Order: sequence, then C-alpha cells, then structure tokens
Amino acid sequence: MMAAAEKFVEADNAEAIITRIEHKSRKIESLLKQNKPVEALKTALEGSSHMICDERCKSANWIVVHRALMAIKDVEGMFSSLDPEYYDILMKYLYGGLSTGDRPTCDQCLRIHEKLTERAGLGCILRSLADTVNAI
Amino acid sequence: MASTLRLYLTCIRNTLEAAMCLQNFPCQEVERHNKPEVELKTSPELLLNPVLICRNEAEKCLIETSINSLRISLKVKQADELENILAKKFLRFLSMRAEAFQVLRRKPVQGYDISFLITNYHCEELQKQKLIDFIVQFMEMHSLKYFRRT
Repeated sequence: MMAAAEKFVEADNAEAIITRIEHKSRKIESLLKQNKPVEALKTALEGSSHMICDERCKSANWIVVHRALMAIKDVEGMFSSLDPEYYDILMKYLYGGLSTGDRPTCDQCLRIHEKLTERAGLGCILRSLADTVNAI
Repeated sequence: MASTLRLYLTCIRNTLEAAMCLQNFPCQEVERHNKPEVELKTSPELLLNPVLICRNEAEKCLIETSINSLRISLKVKQADELENILAKKFLRFLSMRAEAFQVLRRKPVQGYDISFLITNYHCEELQKQKLIDFIVQFMEMHSLKYFRRT
C-alpha cells in the first residue's frame, strides 16, 4: 500500500490522488454512519502528506479532514484512542481550520487545539510552524 | 461566549509560547545591519509559517515568526459604528505612544487593528512569560467590553 502511494507521487498523477481522496471520503462516511468518529479521523489524516501535490488535491483533502473533524463530539475520548503519530498532521489541519474564520469550524478547532497541546506539547505547535515543505 | 474567549486566548498563548523562540541574527544582505526579518521577508529560509487564528468572522489574530522577530496582529470585533470609532481612536492613541510600550508597532498591519513587534532584544531584556501575559491580557481587556455601551 505504501509502495503504491509512492508510485502515485512519482508519477505526479493528480487524477489518481483525487480518486484516492474520493475513496477515502466514502470510507469516512461509512465509518461515521457506524458511529466511529475517531476511526474516521484516522482515515482522513492517514497518508495526507502523500496526497498533496496541487491546490485541488489540497482542498479536496481538506474537505475530507474537515468532515471528520466536525463529527468529533468527545474530544477527550478521541485522544485516548488516537495514536501520537497523528498529532503533528492533526495540528497542521487545526491551524488550517482556524484560518477559515467559519464560526463552528473555529469553535471545534479551538476545542481540539487546547487538548492536543496538553497531550503533545509545544513541540507539536512548533513543528507545524516550522514545516514549510509539507504545508497542507 | 466566555468559553470560546477562554479557548481562543489559550490557543494564542500556546502558539506564542511555541513561536517566541528568537535569537540574534544579523542581516544577511547588508553588512553590520540587524533588522527584524519578519518585517522585511526577504529570505524565506528565515521565516516560519504564518498562523491565522480566528475566533469567528470578525475577530482574528495573525502570528508571523522569523528567526529574530515575531509579529502579532489583532483584529477586534466592533458591534457598531460608534464602537468602531471609539476603538479606532483608542488604538491610535496607543500606537502613537508605541515608544513607551516598546513592543507595540506604530502602524497596524494592513487589515488589522493593532500590531505588536517583538524582537530578540525584547526577549533578552524582558521575560518571555510576562510578554505573553501582557499580550493575552490586552486581548482580554478588549473583549471584556471596556468600551461597550451597557
């Protein structure tokens, strides 16, 4: 699966990436129907760094992650089941959400940001500020 | 309402604590000059990603960091024309006296009401925690409707 992801990135095939994002979106919708918001968020964040090659992919991926983020109701519970490897990419998407200015998105992102900082520390924030290469 | 303000201020405080890691860095282009890189923006390798934290459509905070300086720009909410005028007058009063505040910028960044510029020299002379407390208290003061009509 990882090798396949690398091949797509090498071929720079935006269409293939958009298709994968759509596939991810369908998977997330089904997970949300089964009342598994944390699994949905994990699916949304997985492979995000491989899926960004142009503006279209970025916005498509953002829509998917946004859907998963807004579906989270229990923030404390989410962190007890979310692996630490997702913290950095989640922090980047939180700042992306905070820059939109849309009230419900900002409310949700602020709520998650507070808890994420408690869990992951200031280093997580600094990594999202310092990473100019993989901007989401 | 109060809880979103608390979350908003906590987010800004945490981001500032992480972003305020400044060190002296002489200008790369001009010999013997030392300029705040966040203002010039000539060398991309010295800049971090700018971060925009919005509480809602009207209130936001832009934090831009570089190796030797940090710029914080705030936009505060005004409910009507009168508040708009009062806030403008008050913030203009403060900006004119920026020398006394040391960390205040004389002119706010385009699109914002007030801006702070913190350099490595400020961090050497002043305590980082106290600087952050000052900025967060400033925001709290504005949001507590000191100038709102009752």
